Amino acid sequence: MTTQQQPPVLSIEGIIKDYPGVRAVNDVSFSVESSTVHCLIGENGAGKSTLIKMITGALLPSQGNMKINGAPYAPTSTQNARENGVATLFQELHVVDELSVLENLTLGMEQSRFGFLIKSDLEERVIQTLASIEPSINPAARVSSLSVAQKQIIEIARAASSGASVIIMDEPTASLSEREVERLFTVIRKLRSQGVTVIYISHKLDEIIALGDTVTVLRDGKHIVTKPLSEVSGRPELIDMMIGRCVFESYTPRNNLSEEVILSAKGLSNNMLKNVSFEIKKGEIVGFYGLVGAGKTEIARALFGADEVAGSIVFKGEKVGGSPKEAIAAGIALVPEERRTQGLFTNLTIRENIPVMNLRRMSNNGIFRADAELSAATHYIDQLRIATSSIEKHTEKLSGGNQQKVVLAKCLFSKASLLLLDEPTRGVDVGAKTEIYDIIRNLADEGNSVAVFSSELEEVLGICDRIFLLYTGSLESEIINGPDVDINDILNIVTGGNRGVTA
Amino acid sequence: MNVPIKTNTALSENRRLSDQMYITLLVASVAIGLFLIASVFVPNFFQLQNMLNLVTNNWAVISLGVGVTFLLVSGNFDLSVGGIVALSGVLSVWFAQSIGSSNALSSGLGLPYWVALLGALAGAIAIGGLNALFVVKFRIPSIIVTLGTMMVARGIAQVITQGSQRNTNLPDEFGVLGSLKVFGTSMQLPVVFMGLLLLAAIFIERKMVFGRITYWVGANPVAARLSGIDNAKHITYLYLFSAAIAGVVGILLSSEYQSGYSNRGLLMEFDALVIALLGGIAIAGGFGSVIGMFFGAIILAVVTSAATGLTLSPDWQYILKALAVFLAIVAQTWALARRNK
Amino acid sequence: MSKLTRFEVASTTLGGQVSQFLRNYYIYFVLIAIVVFLSLTNLDRYELFERGNFLYERNIINILRVSAPILVLAGAFTLLMVSGYIDLSVGSTMGLSAVIYAMLAINGVPFLAAFAITTLCGVLLGTFNGLLVVRFKITPVIATLITLSLFKGIALLLVMDGVSAIKSMGDLKMPSWFNAYGREGVLLGLPMAFWVAVIVTITLVVLQNRSLLGKYAAATGGNPTAAKLSGINTSKVVFVLYAIVGACAALAGIARSSFMSLGDPLSGDGMELTAILVVLIGGTAFSGGEGRVLRSFVGALIIMTITLGMLTLVPAYYQTLVLGAVLLGAAASNHWISRKDHAS
Repeated sequence: MTTQQQPPVLSIEGIIKDYPGVRAVNDVSFSVESSTVHCLIGENGAGKSTLIKMITGALLPSQGNMKINGAPYAPTSTQNARENGVATLFQELHVVDELSVLENLTLGMEQSRFGFLIKSDLEERVIQTLASIEPSINPAARVSSLSVAQKQIIEIARAASSGASVIIMDEPTASLSEREVERLFTVIRKLRSQGVTVIYISHKLDEIIALGDTVTVLRDGKHIVTKPLSEVSGRPELIDMMIGRCVFESYTPRNNLSEEVILSAKGLSNNMLKNVSFEIKKGEIVGFYGLVGAGKTEIARALFGADEVAGSIVFKGEKVGGSPKEAIAAGIALVPEERRTQGLFTNLTIRENIPVMNLRRMSNNGIFRADAELSAATHYIDQLRIATSSIEKHTEKLSGGNQQKVVLAKCLFSKASLLLLDEPTRGVDVGAKTEIYDIIRNLADEGNSVAVFSSELEEVLGICDRIFLLYTGSLESEIINGPDVDINDILNIVTGGNRGVTA
Repeated sequence: MNVPIKTNTALSENRRLSDQMYITLLVASVAIGLFLIASVFVPNFFQLQNMLNLVTNNWAVISLGVGVTFLLVSGNFDLSVGGIVALSGVLSVWFAQSIGSSNALSSGLGLPYWVALLGALAGAIAIGGLNALFVVKFRIPSIIVTLGTMMVARGIAQVITQGSQRNTNLPDEFGVLGSLKVFGTSMQLPVVFMGLLLLAAIFIERKMVFGRITYWVGANPVAARLSGIDNAKHITYLYLFSAAIAGVVGILLSSEYQSGYSNRGLLMEFDALVIALLGGIAIAGGFGSVIGMFFGAIILAVVTSAATGLTLSPDWQYILKALAVFLAIVAQTWALARRNK
Repeated sequence: MSKLTRFEVASTTLGGQVSQFLRNYYIYFVLIAIVVFLSLTNLDRYELFERGNFLYERNIINILRVSAPILVLAGAFTLLMVSGYIDLSVGSTMGLSAVIYAMLAINGVPFLAAFAITTLCGVLLGTFNGLLVVRFKITPVIATLITLSLFKGIALLLVMDGVSAIKSMGDLKMPSWFNAYGREGVLLGLPMAFWVAVIVTITLVVLQNRSLLGKYAAATGGNPTAAKLSGINTSKVVFVLYAIVGACAALAGIARSSFMSLGDPLSGDGMELTAILVVLIGGTAFSGGEGRVLRSFVGALIIMTITLGMLTLVPAYYQTLVLGAVLLGAAASNHWISRKDHAS
């Protein structure tokens, strides 16, 4: 790289973001040089998403400044960020399926006279941009006929032709096949050669090494290092920087483990899962650890009967997996990944949320047992220490941690003997986290089984007896938790290091 | 883990009025307030008989409102009820008419009276089943489906009556149900039906598991499914119940008028929706109550009858309905936003 | 590095092409099929039709004259549905416009002025809908149900004193042009009302294909978030579309009142149902994003041909039933097509 003395395209100066009780981003400063692929890595909860949200204008920093090409930059909305040349490729696609590729590329930038579209060099330009990065896409095709990867490229091309100098990509390969990933990389390299800067966020370290020029590592909200990837010796160094001397919640081996298998899953396969088989024993806490898109949620939903899956799931000698209703009746409960949209009835009160998963208990010949509801609600508010002024509080007004406890209370009330917890502590503050871990341990000590599906290593290492490692939909390895677990090995496996890819 | 039956007094004492009760009280006080205002301005308004009439004259729409309310709370429209009223009324007449008149409209199937009633009810429930099939199985928006079934139901009624009505050759007992006075009072059977239906609905809504499930399904269908609730089954029941209520209303009306008229119940689905909206039921689902709907009906009744009392043209009712719904929606949104600030 | 493979383009398969072709052109086949079917039936029993063949010139003219109101409305209604919104008040807007138009005419306002004023009133009524939806954020279904009631009430009040509609009475006489607009042939034997519908449809086709509005309507209905992120003022788009629907509903009111020679406040009753039926037949998605003006125009022709053609086969009182069944059928088939789309 040449060392011209032009200002960095984006510089972050002392950015801090505080949430009640947590400092999500703590005094982060680094700069992004023009025409590079700048990778951002860190464990879940390291502050990456929060930082990105501030760069794209979705969040306002509590303190600190940003500069674009040396000029002050304080975006107030995603729209505003775009106008400043910062475009974002979100995980959910923002293309209009019903329009053609060309129409999508020019959306919002059209040249018009009296409201009518006129021919301009814009179309030429966007077609050229598209052709230069992905010639196989026909500009006249309807976007609905394209694959996810192609749609992603349409978004990239739109960002590039709108004159964005920085394009942020957040886990862009999460839903792509290997071949498509390769294609995306080619596109990114072309963009770089055309003077565009890409900020690339991914958990897949091989991608980082294959693609990046510079890497910035965040840990616990703090900036650890920014350095050229040429100076990084390889995966182990990246992994070391990500975990540091991080103190893990100490795992204490539990002694009442039984050998009785409570659930066995064989050959689970669907569009995400590849022939996944495992067993869960009575009284144990198992972890399913993997990155975004590794198939954790899919396994949880399959066990619960929420999604269709090939293969067999036998729970306490009975076949399950037909429907959530069937699973709950058999004694399985799920704390879903998205608590607001999948777990809670946000416009109902805490009291009204708790009894839903155990209607048999709430029903007295069809009459709703209001007394049982009230006592259950007060009981769980006590037991889980849900912080609320009233049992009648609407759950949408609770904090993330308390919302999660309400969802947990729902599941506990179902008296399930197997609890599936999908990202049980996502967006939950530290205090509530520890409390949730205690609840999980207590449950297991009482003879229930718990499966924790998590993308936080600290979490699975802290509480799980046994951990399954997942990578892109297949179960790669199983490890027994204990003091001599090799963290680097785990991270190596879940980032694809087991696959013979060059590291 | 055993849940001990104990109440945390600190939390229970702090139970504040739920949003639901707040809005219902708001609607009720608006209804009463409007009644008092009307009593001041409209001659002869403040009379016991008039108060009773406000309710009894609207027994049909209030009854339909029960089914519509439950469906709205579950997040679904039912615009087919007006059509079902016409259909079941016409069916009950056609089934009961004796056979063998030379006039096509005078000749029916000659079934025993009670069979005719059951048949009419079955016809009504069949339309409810059609609603459920399209909404639950094919996942077509309920507003489109129930507009379609409204036309189908009324269309069948029109075919049977050849676009007009059937009112001859009926057995003597046909007119009894609709005009029967109960308990030696002036209270007619249809009004009693409405009263019992309201009580049952409030009981189901407040006290039964079925009622609670309706709220869960409407508040968050995804969470409801992941909590083990069979949404499809529940919504199917609601459509069947709503259609059955409309069926009974149609039978009672045809008995009262001793005729099966294909245009009976025209726009009743609209009025049922209006009183539900006035009563504070949110079309997004998961919010609202039958009591609210009842007071919504009172508001509408007070407004329209006061307009009549002030000798405004009956055409004013359309404008008044529009204004009432608009104000109700804006006021409720505002009140909730302010309260939950 | 591995070899770069080309992306598979999803719709190059034969099955894909066939379904694409069917989706684009099926509606024309349906129309032709219905016309052929009717040509084979015996029309002798019914007054509306000339004896003999259905394809007789006067029959065609008759159908097109009666269809003018829905033909002029279908395109605008489609654009609004494409943007993901709906207007249930079109029938009342029609009725109110019919009354206004007739009142102007009977009071001596010349044709062009009456025409322009009424259309402008339609724009205002549509804007009012837009206001409720965009500013007051009332759900489109409810907002336009409110105005359905409101506009109908106003129309009924305008014709109060003891009559049901505005027509020639005593000293007040409808001018001769009033009837001509909707009935008398000016070109190819077709009246002005029909040609206005054609012009409006052509304009809307051009708007849909060539203007920002047409494109933004599709973007707003297809992916509102993407539209907003691209800097599109979706509220404005929706607002303008409601105004256009209002204007077209007014034109429909003018056409119908001229055809019936009276200003009937109820003349548009049920029009929202017909309009929904027509756009669904034309393949418009209820969820927004998808739908073509021209296909809805053909859809309107189909519905009117069915409605009138049915009279040759069954008595008039079968109409509601058949149209209801067609509505359910169209909704189900749209749903079926779009689900296949998503599955692929």
